[in-house]
Amino acid sequence: MKKIAKGILVFVLVASLLSGCGTSTKSENEASQTSKEGVVTIDFWAAPNPPQQTFWKQMAEEFSKVNPNIKVNVSPMPETPSSEAGIQAALAGGNAPTISENISRGFAAQLVDSKALVPLDSMDGWNDIIKSRNMEDTIQAWKFADGHQYVLPIYSNAMLFAWRIDILKQLGYDEPPKTYSQIIELGKKLREKYPDKYLWANPDLIDSTWWKRWFDFFMLYDAASNGNKFIEGNTLVADDKAGVATLKFLEDMAKNKLLLTQVATDPFETAVSVWTTIGPWTFGTWKDKYPELKLNETYVLTPPPVPDGMSTNNVKTFADTKGLVIYAQSSLEKQEAAMEFIKWVYSNPENDMKWFEITNLPPARDDVNTNEQFKAYLKDHPELQLYAESIPNAIPPFDNVKFNDIQTLIGQKAVNPVVAGQIDAQKAWDDMKQAVQGVLK
Amino acid sequence: MKRRQEKLGWLFASPYLLYSLIFFVIPLFGALFLSFTNWNLISPQYENVGFLNFVKAVKSQEVRAAFFVTYKFMAMFVPIVLIGSLAISLIINSLPRFKSLFSVGYFLPYLASGVATSIVVRGILSYNSALNVWLRNTWDLNIDWLGSSTLAPLIISVMIAWKFMGYYSLILTSGLESIPTEVYEAAAIDGATGWVRFFKITLPLLYPAMFTVTILAVGLVFGIFTEPYVLTGGGPGLSTNTWQMEIYNQAFSKLNAGYGSAIAIIDSVVTFITILVVRKLLEVWGEKYGWD
Repeated sequence: MKKIAKGILVFVLVASLLSGCGTSTKSENEASQTSKEGVVTIDFWAAPNPPQQTFWKQMAEEFSKVNPNIKVNVSPMPETPSSEAGIQAALAGGNAPTISENISRGFAAQLVDSKALVPLDSMDGWNDIIKSRNMEDTIQAWKFADGHQYVLPIYSNAMLFAWRIDILKQLGYDEPPKTYSQIIELGKKLREKYPDKYLWANPDLIDSTWWKRWFDFFMLYDAASNGNKFIEGNTLVADDKAGVATLKFLEDMAKNKLLLTQVATDPFETAVSVWTTIGPWTFGTWKDKYPELKLNETYVLTPPPVPDGMSTNNVKTFADTKGLVIYAQSSLEKQEAAMEFIKWVYSNPENDMKWFEITNLPPARDDVNTNEQFKAYLKDHPELQLYAESIPNAIPPFDNVKFNDIQTLIGQKAVNPVVAGQIDAQKAWDDMKQAVQGVLK
Repeated sequence: MKRRQEKLGWLFASPYLLYSLIFFVIPLFGALFLSFTNWNLISPQYENVGFLNFVKAVKSQEVRAAFFVTYKFMAMFVPIVLIGSLAISLIINSLPRFKSLFSVGYFLPYLASGVATSIVVRGILSYNSALNVWLRNTWDLNIDWLGSSTLAPLIISVMIAWKFMGYYSLILTSGLESIPTEVYEAAAIDGATGWVRFFKITLPLLYPAMFTVTILAVGLVFGIFTEPYVLTGGGPGLSTNTWQMEIYNQAFSKLNAGYGSAIAIIDSVVTFITILVVRKLLEVWGEKYGWD
C-alpha cells in the first residue's frame, strides 16, 4: 500500500514539475519581451495567404518607423487543419498572439463565450477608428449579444455568382437568368446540348462541413428571404417560406440532373459547369492560371437568383467578412500597443486603398462606392465593381456560439439529403429546424 | 551482483518509462479527467458533468458511424494489406540478389505524406481527370468514386494498404528468411512442390510474423484520419467518418474538448477489446492447425 502511495506521490510531483516548467518559461519570455529597452513587442497573426501577409508586414514596418517603442511581429497564422483550430490550440497552450485577423463572427462568438477576446469598444481609441475609417454603419451589424464590439471588420465580400456567358450565348442567352425557374430551364437546355456539362459543379453540396453552407445555402437563403435573419440570440427566426424555396430550388436542380457533386478540377474554369459561387480572391488565381477568362466576354457576375415572382433588384447575398481581434491572454501593455497599431493603420484611408490593391478584398467601410480614391480604383478593376456595389446587400454570418453545430445540421438534415434526392424540401426544412432548435435549447 | 543488474536494468528502461510517463500516462489521465467535464478547450471555466459525455457519445449518430466504419475499413484494409505484403515479401525473398534495394523501394510509400498522396488521388479520381474522361468516352462509364459509400472506403483502404505494404513486408521477409532451407529440402524429397509447399510449410512457419502484421494492421485501422479528412471529409453520409475524425471534429472544430475526450476514451476501450478478440481468434486458429 505504501509503495502505491509513494508511486502516486512521485507521479503527481513529476506532473506538477512538468506543468510548472511550461508556465514559468512563458511568463519569463513575455516579461523579457516587453521590458527589453522599453520596446513593447506584439505578435500579429495574419491570414494564411501571401497578399494579406504582405499588407500587414508593410504596415508593421511603416508603423515601427513612427512608433519605435512598439514592435509588431507579423507571421502567418497556422492553417493546418484550419486557422480556427490553430488559434484554439494556441489559446489552449497559452501561446495566443496579441492580435489576429481572419476572425469570422461565428468563431468570434465562441471566443467571446470563453472570455478569450478583449472588448474593443472598451479600449481608448475605438471610437476614433470607427470615425476615421468611416464605418459607423458597417460596424452596427457587428455588435454582440452583450452589447460590446469584439471584432473590427476588415473586409466585406458580398459573395456573387459567376456565369460562363460564352457558353450561355451558345444556348441563345444574352444575359444570365435571374429566377429559379429560368435557371432550371437553362440547365435543361445545357444538358440537352452538352450532356457532359453541368449547371453547377459543387461537391460541397453533399458535404456537411459547417463553413460550406456559407457559399451555397446562405447565399440563396439571404436572397430568397430578402436578408431575413436566421438566428437571433438563441432563437431560430428563419423565414420558413424562403427556406423551403431555397431547398426546393436545390431539389429541382438535383432532380433534373443539373448538379455535379463529384470532385472536379476547376470545373467552372474548364467549362465543365457554367455557374459557380465566387469571391474576389479568385481573380488573382485566374490572372495567372486562366488568363483567357475575361469579364463580359467569358464570364459575367450576378447576385444570387431569387424565387419566381420576387423582385430581382437589390438582391441580398451572404457577406464573407472577417475582422481583427485582440486576445485577452496578452498583457495590458501589449493590448494597448496593439490598439495603437490598429489606430495608426486605420487613421489613413490610403492604407485601406493599399489593402484593396494588394488583396482585392473590399475594405469594410461605408464609403467604398463614394470615396473618390476607391471609385477610381474600381473603374480600373471592373470585376470588383459589383462586389463593392453589393456591400449594402451583404448579410454577415450569424454570431451564435453554436454556429458550428447549427451549420453542420443545415448540411446534414437539409442541403445534403435534398441534393442526394433522399427527402423533399419541406421535410428537410422541418427536420433541420427541429434539430437546430434542439441545439439552441 | 543481482542487485547491481537490477539497477542497470532500471537505468536502461528509464528513458522509455519517462517517455511513457510524459507522452502516455499523463495525457491519458488528462483525457480521462477531461472526459467528465464540459471544457471547451479555451475557456478558463468548466464543470464536472459526470457521465453525460459518455451517454451523449453512445447515442450519437456520428460515433455509432465511426464504430461501424472502423470495422468496414478493417474488413477491407486487413485482407488487402496482408495479401499484398505477403506477395511483396515472397517476391523479394525469391530474388537472387538486390533484395535490400527492392525492400527499400517497396518501403518508400510508407514515408510519403498522407496529405500529398490524398491530393494526388483526389486529382486522379476527379470528374475531369484523364482516367474518368477515358472511362466516359470509351465505356460510357461515369463513376463517382468518392461519392459512393462503397467505393470511397475501398479507395481509402487501398491507399493506406499501398502505403503500409512495404513496411509490413519487411517483417514478413525477415520471417521468411528465418525458415530453414532444410525444411524445404526435406519437403522436396517427399515430393511437395508449389502450392503444397506454400500452404504446408511457408504459411505455418510464417505464422508468428503474420500474427504480428495482423495485429499491427488491426490497430492501425483505429488511427485512420488523414486520408478520409482530405479525400471525403467523412462522407458521403458518414460512410468514412472514423474515430479520429470524430474526435478531431468535436475537440478542435466544435470546441467540445470534454466530449471529444470521452469519445477518445471509448475509442481506446473499443480498440483494446478488438485487438484482444482478434489476438484470441488468431491464437485459437494457430492452436487448431498447429501453427503456433
